[in-house]
This record gives sequence, C-alpha cells and structure tokens, in this order.
Amino acid sequence: MSSNTPHRAITPCPGCEAPALSRRDFLNRAHMGFGAVAFAGLASQWATAATPQRPPHFAPRAKRVIFLFMDGGVSHVDSFDPKPALDKQHGQPAKWRPDALSQAVSANRKWLKSPWAFRQHGQSGLWVSDLFPNIARVADELCVVRSLVGETPLHGAQSLLLHTGRSAAAAPSIGSWISYGLGTENAQLPGYVVLNNDWIPNGGIQNFASSFLPATHQAAMVRAKGSPVDNIGAADPAAVQQAKLDFLRAQDGAFAQAQGGSQPIESAIANYETAARMQSLVPQLCDVTGESVETLEMYGLDRANDYDTLYALQCLRARRLIEAGVRFIEITCPNTHGNNSPWDQHGQLKLRHAENARITDQPIAALITDLKARGLLDDTLVMWAGEMGRTPHSSGDDGRDHHVSGYTIWMAGGGIRGGMTFGNTDEMGMSAVERPLDIHDIHATILHQLGVDHERLTFRFGGRDMRLTDVHGNVVKELLA
Amino acid sequence: MLCVAALTCAGVRVLNAADTAGEAFFESKIRPLLVARCYKCHSGDKTKGKLALDTRTGWQNGGISGPAILPGNPKESLLIQVVRPTNIRGLLMPPKDQGDKLSDADVANLIQWIAMGAPDPREVAAPQKRSGMTLEEGRKHWAFQPIARPTPPVVKHRAWPRSPIDQFVLAQLETNGLPPAADSDRHPWLRRVTFDITGLPPTPEEIAAFVGDPTPQAHERVVDRLIASPAFGEKWARHWLDIVGYADEIGVANTVPAIHAWRYRDYVIRAFNTDKPFDQFIREQVAGDLLPASSIDQHRDAIIATGFLLLGEIHIVEADKLQQRADVVDHQIQKIGTAFLGQTLGCVRCHDHKFDPITVGDYYGLAGIFNSSESVYVTGRGVWSSILATDLPESPTHRAERELALRAHSKNVARLKQEHAQLEKELAEVNKQLAAPATKTGAAEPSAISTPPAADPKARKAELEKKLADLTNHLRHLDYIEPKSTPVYAIREAAAPADAHIHVRGNARAPGAAVPRGFIRVMDPAPWPKFSTTASGRIELANWLVRADHPLPARVTANRIWQKFFGEGLVRSLDYYGARGERPSHPELLDWLAGEFIRNGWSQKKLIRQITLSRAYQMSSTQNLAAAARDPDNRLLARMPPRRLDAEAIRDAVLAVSGDLLSGGNGPALALHFFENVGGLDPKNPNPVSYALKKFPEDQLRRRAIYLPVIRSGAQPGPAEVRNLFDFVAPTEMTSHRPSTTVATQALFLMNSEFIRTQAGKLADWALKQDAADDDVRLAKLYLRTLNRPATQTEQDSARQFLNATEKPSASQRRDAWAAYCHALLSSNEFLFRL
Repeated sequence: MSSNTPHRAITPCPGCEAPALSRRDFLNRAHMGFGAVAFAGLASQWATAATPQRPPHFAPRAKRVIFLFMDGGVSHVDSFDPKPALDKQHGQPAKWRPDALSQAVSANRKWLKSPWAFRQHGQSGLWVSDLFPNIARVADELCVVRSLVGETPLHGAQSLLLHTGRSAAAAPSIGSWISYGLGTENAQLPGYVVLNNDWIPNGGIQNFASSFLPATHQAAMVRAKGSPVDNIGAADPAAVQQAKLDFLRAQDGAFAQAQGGSQPIESAIANYETAARMQSLVPQLCDVTGESVETLEMYGLDRANDYDTLYALQCLRARRLIEAGVRFIEITCPNTHGNNSPWDQHGQLKLRHAENARITDQPIAALITDLKARGLLDDTLVMWAGEMGRTPHSSGDDGRDHHVSGYTIWMAGGGIRGGMTFGNTDEMGMSAVERPLDIHDIHATILHQLGVDHERLTFRFGGRDMRLTDVHGNVVKELLA
Repeated sequence: MLCVAALTCAGVRVLNAADTAGEAFFESKIRPLLVARCYKCHSGDKTKGKLALDTRTGWQNGGISGPAILPGNPKESLLIQVVRPTNIRGLLMPPKDQGDKLSDADVANLIQWIAMGAPDPREVAAPQKRSGMTLEEGRKHWAFQPIARPTPPVVKHRAWPRSPIDQFVLAQLETNGLPPAADSDRHPWLRRVTFDITGLPPTPEEIAAFVGDPTPQAHERVVDRLIASPAFGEKWARHWLDIVGYADEIGVANTVPAIHAWRYRDYVIRAFNTDKPFDQFIREQVAGDLLPASSIDQHRDAIIATGFLLLGEIHIVEADKLQQRADVVDHQIQKIGTAFLGQTLGCVRCHDHKFDPITVGDYYGLAGIFNSSESVYVTGRGVWSSILATDLPESPTHRAERELALRAHSKNVARLKQEHAQLEKELAEVNKQLAAPATKTGAAEPSAISTPPAADPKARKAELEKKLADLTNHLRHLDYIEPKSTPVYAIREAAAPADAHIHVRGNARAPGAAVPRGFIRVMDPAPWPKFSTTASGRIELANWLVRADHPLPARVTANRIWQKFFGEGLVRSLDYYGARGERPSHPELLDWLAGEFIRNGWSQKKLIRQITLSRAYQMSSTQNLAAAARDPDNRLLARMPPRRLDAEAIRDAVLAVSGDLLSGGNGPALALHFFENVGGLDPKNPNPVSYALKKFPEDQLRRRAIYLPVIRSGAQPGPAEVRNLFDFVAPTEMTSHRPSTTVATQALFLMNSEFIRTQAGKLADWALKQDAADDDVRLAKLYLRTLNRPATQTEQDSARQFLNATEKPSASQRRDAWAAYCHALLSSNEFLFRL
C-alpha cells in the first residue's frame, strides 16, 4: 500500500498562509514585500550606494552567513552521529521499517560500521569522528543537529531544498533572500557570493539563482582558479579605459539630461563607476598574498594538492569578503573524481570520504578559528551541511547510499550555542527519533539570527506572497545561545 | 452474510460490520479528541511537521517523522509515543502551550482505537471555511466579466487623438489634469518602433527613407515594412518562449538535450511571421495533433505546436512514476493557467484557491484532460524518463530531402564500420601473436591501416583497442544522429481517457472522489460538453479557451502586446488576473484592445499596427517633472517610458552595427552533429545521452540570439552569455515579465568582454572603410549607424579630440583610436536604451 510514502511538499503556495493585510502593510508590500521602499526604481546594490542596508525585523544576533556546502552528502554515521550499535551489528542483515527516505540501491543490505573511530572533544565532550581531526579541535563552537529529515533521497531535489526551500520548483536561493531582505553592507560588492570550486552541484545554477527576486540578488560566482570573476580584469591600459569612461560620463550625462532625468539611465551611468572600482576591489579581496605566512599555513594554502589549496583559498577569501561586508557566502566542494557529486560515496567510502575530508577539514577549522580570533564569529553564522546523509546499511563493505530520514548538519557562531548536539536518530542511525527537524526549521532559525522573521520576509510573485520557508518552518530556540 | 469489504477504484468504501463498530468508536471517542486537541496544528493547510490528522491518509503518510499510526500496533505508533509524558522522543503532544496533556482515558482510547486497526472513515478533509471568493462573488471580479465594447470617450483636446486608443489615454490624462507629452522626433520614433517590432536597430538607409518621407503615410509605411519583415517573428517569438519556459534541454537539472525542441521554436517564429490567428495558435498548442488539417505542412505544424505542453519544467529523473505523472499534469495545468488565463492554478492542486474563486474541482477537471493524454515515457535507462517524441508525417518532398541526407549518412557509417572491422581483424592478429610464446620479434604483417604499426605488439594492442573504442563511440554517435525519421516532441492521446480523481492535499497516493473533466467554472457559467471516453478532451479545452465570449485569453494577450510597447501592461501583473492581481489602469482601453483583437480575427499584426500608429505611442520619452510628481509610475501614460534593450536586442544590435549579423538561423540549436558535444552514448550507461557545448558552429556565433541554445539548468552558453547578464528570464520561470536590473557585471561585460571589444574593432574597420571626405563625415555615418541619429556639433568636437589624442598616428594607432571610440559608443547608455 501507499501508506509509507512521504507526502512531498509539491506546489509552493505560501501566499495561502498570508494573514489579512492592513492597509499600511498592503502599501508597503504591494510590489516587493519587505524592503520594497528601498528597492524603488531599478537601483541595484551593486550599482549604487542608493540601496541602503535595510532594517531587520528585530535585533539580530548575526550579520552574515557562511554556508559550507558538503555536496553529495557526508555520512552522518561516519562523522558526527556515533552509533555503537552499528559496530555491534556490523555485517548483520539490515532490517528497517520500509522508508522511502532511505535508499537501497541494490539488495542484500547489511549494517556497516564506521571505518572511523569516534572520540569526544573539547570541554563540551562533543562526539566527532577521526574523519575530521581539525574540525574536532573547534568542537566547542559547534552546534550539531542530528535529526534533519529531508523530502526525497535524490541529490538534485535535496540540494534545491537545502538552497531554496523547494525540492521541485524554481525559487530563490537562501542567499538571495538574505541579500534581498537585509540589503548590503558594502555597495561595491554583491550581497551573495558563491566561492565555487569549479563544480556546479546537482540542481544546477538554480541553487544560487535569485529566481523571481530581482537579479541583483543572484549569487556572484567567484572562481577558485584563474580570473575570479568574468570580465573583472581591465582589458585596456588604464589611460585608455579612463578616456572611455570620461567619454561615457559626458555622453551618458547629456543623454540623461535630455531625458529630463531618468532613474534607470542614471543608475546605469553610476554602474560604470562601480564596475571600474570593482575591477581593483574584487581582485584585491581575492588576492591573499598579503596574508601572513601563519594564516596561509593555518588554512592550508601551503599544501601540495591543487584541490586542497584551492579550497583553502576559498575559505580564506570567505573571511576577507565577510570583513568587506558580503552578507552571504557559500563555499562549494570540488569534485575530484568525476563522480556524481563530491561526497556521494556509494562505493570507495574510505578512500573518497577521507579525500574530501582532507581537502575541507583543515581550512574549515582554520576559518572558524580565524573568525573567532578576529571577533567575527560572534556575528557570523557558519553552517556546514550536505543535502543528505548516507545509509547506515550497505550492499557492500565500502559504500553507503542516499539517506534523508535522519542526518546531521552543524552550525557555529552567529549566536548559535556551541558545544551542543540536538536531536537524535535511532540506535542504528536510520530515522530521526528525537526532535526531527526539516530544512525549513533551519532556514527559519538562520533568518531569526539575522533579525528576520521568516514569515514576514516575503515577495509578491504571481499574486502570492512568497517565502523562503514556504508554509513551513519553526525557529528552533534550543539552538540559540 | 455481509458484503465483502473492498476498496473500489473510486475510493468508495463498502463497509462491513466490524468497520461499522470501529467507526462508531472513532466517531464517538476519537474524532472529537482529534478535533479538540490536534486539529489546531494538524489539519487543513496547517500541518506542523507536515503531519495532517484530519484525514486517514494524513496519518498514514505521516509527517517528517514518518507515519503517525501503525494500525494494530499502538506500541510502535508515533502518535501514542508522543502523547505519553514519559516518551523518549523529546516531543510531547499536545505541546505545553496548547493546554494540559491528554488524560489517561484519552490515551487509553487512542490505544484501543489503534489496536482495532485504526478505523477511520475520513476520506477527504472536512470542508474548510473558504477564505477565497465564492463563485457568485467571483463572477463579479472584473477579469471574469465579459469583455465590454466601450465607446471611445470624448476628449477636450480633440485634435490630439489619432485613434480610439488615444481617446482612452487622453481622457484619463485630462481627468487628472495632465497633458500628453509632445510628439517624439522622427529619429527616436524610428529607433523605438524598429526595436520594438523587430529587436534590431534601423539601418541608415531606412532612417534616410523615413526622415525624407514627407507624406502623411510615412509612419504607416514604416510599420507595415517592419511587421512584414522576418525579423518581427524572430523578436516576438521570444516573448512567447519566455512564457512557455522553452529550453533546448529536457528535465529540470540534467544535461539531457531536447534535440527536437528547435522545431517548436521555429514553429512559433513561423506562426508569428505569417500572422497565424492567435486563437488558432492557442488551439494548436493545446490540441494540434487532433485538429483537422488541409495539408501535410499544416498538420506537421499543428503537431509541433503541442510541444508547448511538453517543453518545460518536467522532471525526468523520478523513481516514483505515479508522482511524476501528477507533476507533469500539474505543469501543464499551470502553463494553461499562466499562458492563456492569467491565473495561478498550481495552488488548487492541494486546496481550493485562497483568494480566487477556483476550486480543487476545477483543477481536477482539467487534470482529467491532461491525465488522459501521454507526455512522458520511461526510457529504460535507470530511473529516467523522457518526453514523448512523435514522427512527423512526410510529404514526398520531405521524404526525398530526408532520404538524401540519410544516404550520405549511411555512406559515412559504412565507411567507419569497415574501418572498425579492419581494426578488429588486426587486433585479433596481434592477440594471436601475443598468445604465441615463440614469436619474439614483430613479425606481424604490415597493416592495411595507414598508421604505422607500433613495433611492440603490446603497445600496438593498446593502440588498437583505443582506436576501436573511439570508433565504436563514433558509430554510436552516428547512430544517435541518424536521420531515420523526423521526430518532434508532441503530446498524444492516452489509451483509456478517463476523469481524474482528486488527489487529497495534492498527494497522488491519496485518491479522493472522481471529478468530471471540465474547465474553470467561474469563467463560464454555461453547461460544458460531455467528455467522451475515447478522447482526452483537449479539443474541447482548446475550443473553450478561444470562445469569443471567454473573458480572459484575449485580454491577457492584448495586455501583453501592449506591455511590449509601453513597458508596463495596462494590468501590470501580466500573468495574474486574480483577486490579488492589479486592476487595469485603463479598463476600457483594455477591453477595447481585446475586443478589436478578436474582431480582427485574433491578428497580432493588426493590433500591433493599431498600437504603434497611435499618437500615444508617438509621445516623446522626455520626462515632464510636473507629471512625474503627480504620477511617478507613469500609470496615466503622460509620456513614453524609456527602456533598456533586452538581452537579445543588445547582442543582436551589436552584431548588426558591426556588420557581422547573419540573417536566418532556423534549425537545430544544439550542435550535436559535433561528436565532442555529446556524451553518455554507451547504451549500458545508466544515465541518458547528455550534451556539453564545447564547440559551436562558426555561423551560429553570428545568428540572432533567438537561434542560440537555451539552457534550463545552467548558465547560458558561449555566444548566448549576454543572456546571463541582462535579465533574460530563466526557462524555469514561465513569465512574460522581464525585469530590468542594473548590475555591475553588465558594465564589466561592456567594458572588458572579448565579444564587445571584437565587434567594436569591426565597427571601427567599417567606419574607416567608408568613402568619406573627412572624419566628420565618418562620424556622422557612425552615429547614424549606432545611435540612429545625426551627431551633434559637440559630439563631433569631442570625438575628434578623442580620436586625435596621438599626433600623426600610424595606421594601427589610428585604428586603435577608432576601435576605442566605437567601443565607448557601444557601451554608452544611449546605445543600450530605446527612447
């Protein structure tokens, strides 16, 4: 029968939940929802300083977010969710209540114990496996949530769910929502940056898209290798470019004046000034050669492998961009082995999980340490999450399949309580049995820390007031410091 | 004794005695308890933790923790675990802020009920209090009212109007005490109308002809020339593709090529250029495969047209095929709603619309129609599906053309196969050689293959194996692109058409009552046709959409056409006419336009002609400060709003003025005939054939943007990169409104990209080649070509200064200076805007 099939959230229609609007609300929200007034016209946050920071709904604990996306799904039972029962029942036939949220790619499932030993770390005694020896050293900063439940054990759908709150429809990315909701701290820089490692996760560019939000809020992609941003390098010698810009100022100025002043034209004119400044600012922010040797080594820029150093570089850039006022940064993982996605180890779990951990572990620990040392961790929320966990059972002895009925993510900083775990899966690591959360709860909580009420951050589209959290989401107060 | 307990396919349960007793218990003990203590958070649309307790399927499906109740097993039922205060789950229900915990008696009743097997008669959620409009209220909503035939109002300034459009516009301006803007000069008007109708700038010759035309028909002549040009369809088809969510890619997040999609794109261009009546255009897209045709070409076009229903957000990697089918139907219903009706029908999949008088019944009436049609099939590779393709009928000419191509193709295949056999033979010999221990030196016979054999047999073996693998892949590629027939993405009738069942709360596995096929009640109070059991009902739907008294499709279309000329629609929410949409700024004008549209046989070109020849369209874009203060959004149309060109027009205009633009370009968008662009050819691959555009045909780089590939799941590729920067709407959006944002990446592209700089160089070469007495003449020509107006004296002076920064420049310095100047002109906002 069909009774075990999860009920998928199918069609987004958050407007359906919208309360009756007062007239004043209506005026404020008629076009753009929260923040509409500041958005009047076509001014862009990249383009002009005309888009001020927008006031949050209430006092924020965090000002910005760094999202470390563990693309492909880190195994929770090999990292932050120790299961002694798995060790005991290792090799025994696995039986569980049939569940569409845990994938069994092939039959003959057996319980598979973790190849990595778990230990307690820090004053809090947080459990971390030997897969992440460096992250373990900042255990007291981590708030580990072990009871996340997804919608469907597929990469694309889960990745979109994690990024946009929807698994099966186009919607803005969380970074876009935050950029839209809070505006920018630095008019010269985008509000939302993806520090990419030359691999686009499943779900595609839609993961980072502004969708129906203005394009200003889409992610600016910064590449790890080569020129960080398209067309960022001045193609002309400085004098030639200056001559062109002078010409444009005169020509465009006359054009705008003849129009009796025109906001779109004036904003497009200012845009050239901004772009010209960005030509030096962005490469400067991306260039880490001025950092101390200690810092470079702490992040692991001195390591031998390209994947390792590029990931380290992106983590260090994240700190520099945060300092410069970017609101939301995502760092993606590199795909080292032409797999479906970096952490997707249906096979070669020991080899590839270890490799991915080697690439990411040291730079992430360094980032948290560095943010803390600079006093930035207090108001920077760091989230570490994949789109899924991996099955505690296996058809072989070195691989795990997709699993979303209970998996782990962690957060740090930004007013989140460190050194704690929240929720639990059952003794085999199968289902979230204690305080199951869904991704909307995490989104609501992140917005809450930024001073934004997830039910009031809306954008009118297609006649509906759209929300990041759709009709879902509860702030998880227990996670807050 | 008693009738057999059964579940009929309609989900109507036949009860037996045990059920009756169980349900009596449910009704007396359980239902009141659930209503009092659980419904607040777990019923209707409020389903915390995604758990609904107001239907049987609600608790069967459960929430994010899984099924809430295991019938017959109270101990392991989550519901029992969470209502006990001693539970281990860290979760106590009802929560503390919802009053006391359940009494022991209540818990005992729940346990007893679950032990009985949890009998629960609740098929469908209890009727919710409707928060939307009733049908009667709904019919009064302006958009559902019949299209009126208003009389153009009398205006004070009687000399101003040139057409009824102008009377409607002026009357509102006069009511508000605002004057219309002065007439635009001829240069900006020509640039405006040429970009608006064709997406390209006027040529210097066209400018000269119009500016020098003293007759009163000068404007008409221009408009007639423009709407007759093939460039019209190339520009306007793109507006329609925005709504369709067109892409040359199947699926949502996969790189699976939609290799036949271009036929739909070309169909739209053809339909617009031949001014196919828009009602026919709508009919063909919904039911073209079923319409009578008087020629093979017409039949082919009508089949291609149904690609409308298939080219969009359709998930093809979905293990749950029941869910997938429901999602496809949902996509089609949403598309009908957005494209033709200006309604958001997606909401109604799960519940009656919260704001609009549209019900679940309406939705599943439509669902029956699409569910009775076939759109996707299972490919046999992994869990993959694909969208259906149908072979087009062929005329003798079509067949002859294709067979000619097939012969050339087969020759190529035969040649490669022969080569393959030869290599295999050689490999067998090498293998023999390696197997025989005696042979020490390379005693193999010289091969017939031209490459000299490697001296070492082992190396030679590896070499041969590599070659064979490559050749096998090449043959697979040739097989993939073989012109066996002319397939096209098209919908078809299902084997057994039938009415659909309501999916309770949108859940395909929770069928509710069956709903007769039908349309949307609030838009049409008249009785509907009876739907046959041998046809889907798409023909009936198509005919219903274009009924002369239908209030919406003509309004929606006329408003969209207006928006392309005036920047905003009369109804600004272009795709949404529901209760929370905008009311029209000029309701009578909207109805007049929609009425004219229908009266003129749904001719787009006639409507466009009427709009562009109006005086309102001729108004200058110069801002009048008093009017701007009174009406900052220009809702009253006191002037023509200036607009930045869209992504396609920017690219096409740059190519046009640099002299690089090629006309035409129909045909496949994805260059899959290049072997390097195709992957996953091995039939054993669990994933379908995929594409990666590593190589573009030379000429494609110079075609208009509409002919370039459209990617659904990623950045727009290669020559289409300009779409990524200038507000192209992603195919995922299905919207007729493009925003116009200003972002720094645009300026960086204009300043530094290879594309702009190369084209600027070509423009400079053109300018320098002009037969001109001096630079002033050259500059005059350059301004006419790029900004479509004469250069002013000030501009001439400053240009000379710019160009002569170096004294006595060499030929190459002179070229550099001109290239720099052209580059600056192409990045000027005047070039990027139309006034």
